[in-house]
Amino acid sequence: MSSVFFALLLAATPPPDADEILRRAQAVVLGETAGYTLRMTVTRPGKAERVVEIKGFKKGDDLGLIRYTAPPKERGTAYLRKGDNTWLFLPSAEKVVRVGPKQNFGGGDFSNGDIFRLSLTRDYTATLAGEETLLSQACWRLELKARDRSVAYDRVVYWVRSDGTYYPVKADYYTLSGRRLKWLTLSEVGRLGDRSRPTLLTMESALEVGAKTLLRFLTIDDKAKPDDRLFTPSALERGE
Amino acid sequence: MSRRLACLVLALSAAAGATAGEQEIELGLENFYYRTDETLFNRGNILGLDRGEDLLRGTLRLKRSLGAARLVVSGFVERRLGGGDATETTLRQAYLQYGWGEGLTLRVGKQRIGWGSGFAWNPTSRIEPPKNSLNTSLEQQGAVAARMDLIPVTWAGLVLVAARSEVDRGDLPFETPRARRRTGALRARFLLADTDLALVFSGGKNQRTLVGFDLARDVGALSLHAEGAFYKGAELPPSRDGQTFFRLAAGLLHARGDDSFTLEYFFNGEGYSDASAAAFFSRLEAAFRLAPEAYLAAVGTAYAGGLGLRRHYAQGSWTRGSAGGKWTLSGRGTVGLSDGGIALTPGVVYAPRGNVTLHGEAVLLLGSKESEYGHSPLRGALSARVKVLF
Repeated sequence: MSSVFFALLLAATPPPDADEILRRAQAVVLGETAGYTLRMTVTRPGKAERVVEIKGFKKGDDLGLIRYTAPPKERGTAYLRKGDNTWLFLPSAEKVVRVGPKQNFGGGDFSNGDIFRLSLTRDYTATLAGEETLLSQACWRLELKARDRSVAYDRVVYWVRSDGTYYPVKADYYTLSGRRLKWLTLSEVGRLGDRSRPTLLTMESALEVGAKTLLRFLTIDDKAKPDDRLFTPSALERGE
Repeated sequence: MSRRLACLVLALSAAAGATAGEQEIELGLENFYYRTDETLFNRGNILGLDRGEDLLRGTLRLKRSLGAARLVVSGFVERRLGGGDATETTLRQAYLQYGWGEGLTLRVGKQRIGWGSGFAWNPTSRIEPPKNSLNTSLEQQGAVAARMDLIPVTWAGLVLVAARSEVDRGDLPFETPRARRRTGALRARFLLADTDLALVFSGGKNQRTLVGFDLARDVGALSLHAEGAFYKGAELPPSRDGQTFFRLAAGLLHARGDDSFTLEYFFNGEGYSDASAAAFFSRLEAAFRLAPEAYLAAVGTAYAGGLGLRRHYAQGSWTRGSAGGKWTLSGRGTVGLSDGGIALTPGVVYAPRGNVTLHGEAVLLLGSKESEYGHSPLRGALSARVKVLF
């Protein structure tokens, strides 16, 4: 009786507006501030998998820092993102160089922007385009349109679970010409850190059949409180 | 390496080894093969070179971190096989670093400073030996220094360095004159309007005092940089004490997928014009006949001067590779725009495992025989390096 009541109640409750859905979905995987470790696996048809492990910090929408921790030959290489600026630290040269935000991150299917610029709410205007079942999940379908042309994708279609968890399920990324460039699937919901969340992010390329990059979160520390000065080129140059 | 420094390094290494923390050890084997000739810079084979010269090295690098402290020691034992057989031990780096939060870091010991944004040339650096612009991937020796990094706010920082260094170009099969310098240097760094800006001051013993700047910012898909320095009096002979000179390295980096491209132009304001270069070269010829010691010192200018004899240079490079990948391919070309000298440096890195890398590189000298590169006694080079990380 009560479950029927709640089902009716949910059905009768209007969904939150699109910006609110997007805002809550964005905070699901990594909150405002976090420290984390993850494993990135890059798959290319006919080639051996490439696996790297990463330790990272994020703070707000503007600050991100990651360092490669494995394999040993990549250890110490680090990326810093601050607003629209991205720097790369090369330990062999002990040098910090600027790299563009649209460059592929680590040679995979995620761009630097995908990794560091996690704020879709700031870069896109969202509209609720409907409700769909996707990957066996009831979802809201959001249409995101770039606020300006500085971002990597002109349009993003974003599916968010409508069961109250706000877990993002999938995102399709489109170019200015309307072509789907790649798509992201968020899966393997599990407890990591203080709460449950999708722990596997898979980016697949529409440009190369079978090409994909997996980001598997290994640890997440929602209580990390990195100092803002960690996110400076000077701190990057200091190495780890 | 001085005995005192060696003892200190060993003591620090032992102390670090006795404590818990993260540790990395890298063992390597390096071989540099040079094809040589008698040229203007080696008249009568005064450098005593065989046609083929080999430098064979065993290398070691240790890095140990314990909380906010870090110890890095690296060096090599080198056996020269060729015109003169000799074994030498060289310490590339040996330093201790400690950080007080994110705002203050102190590093003391022999260390790489990484001073300046230029890829191949760093006009603002008087601290370290200059890079080998024909092969910027070679690991350089550091300077004995105390370095303090201060980050009071996120948009500004200060780097202070006091250093003692012997400036010569390493990885050569012959000795070059070493300028012993004591340097005090300051770099004030700012991030303003998405632009990296640094103001630099550097001066000290056996060198020209300079003021410089360093700029970097992204423009579309390009990352641009410009590093420049003003100083009074030349570093190349004649000294021209009353004259102010300017050097500039400006370039760009573009990365697309697994490929990255760089381009850099270097203006050496005190570099020789065609007439001055011809005069310098003829003085060399005369010196060789009359005073071999003076000739050797003058030849050393081409190496110890560090940033080049002429005014205009350019370098372009391409690299294909990605994190965790097995293969990295690269090609670099350095062109003396003033004299038509060309140096090509193709390279490959193969990583059969995540902790093993094999590097192979070549240096091919092309272009005008009357150019700076054309006069080099080294007519070509091959290098092979193997590194294993633990």
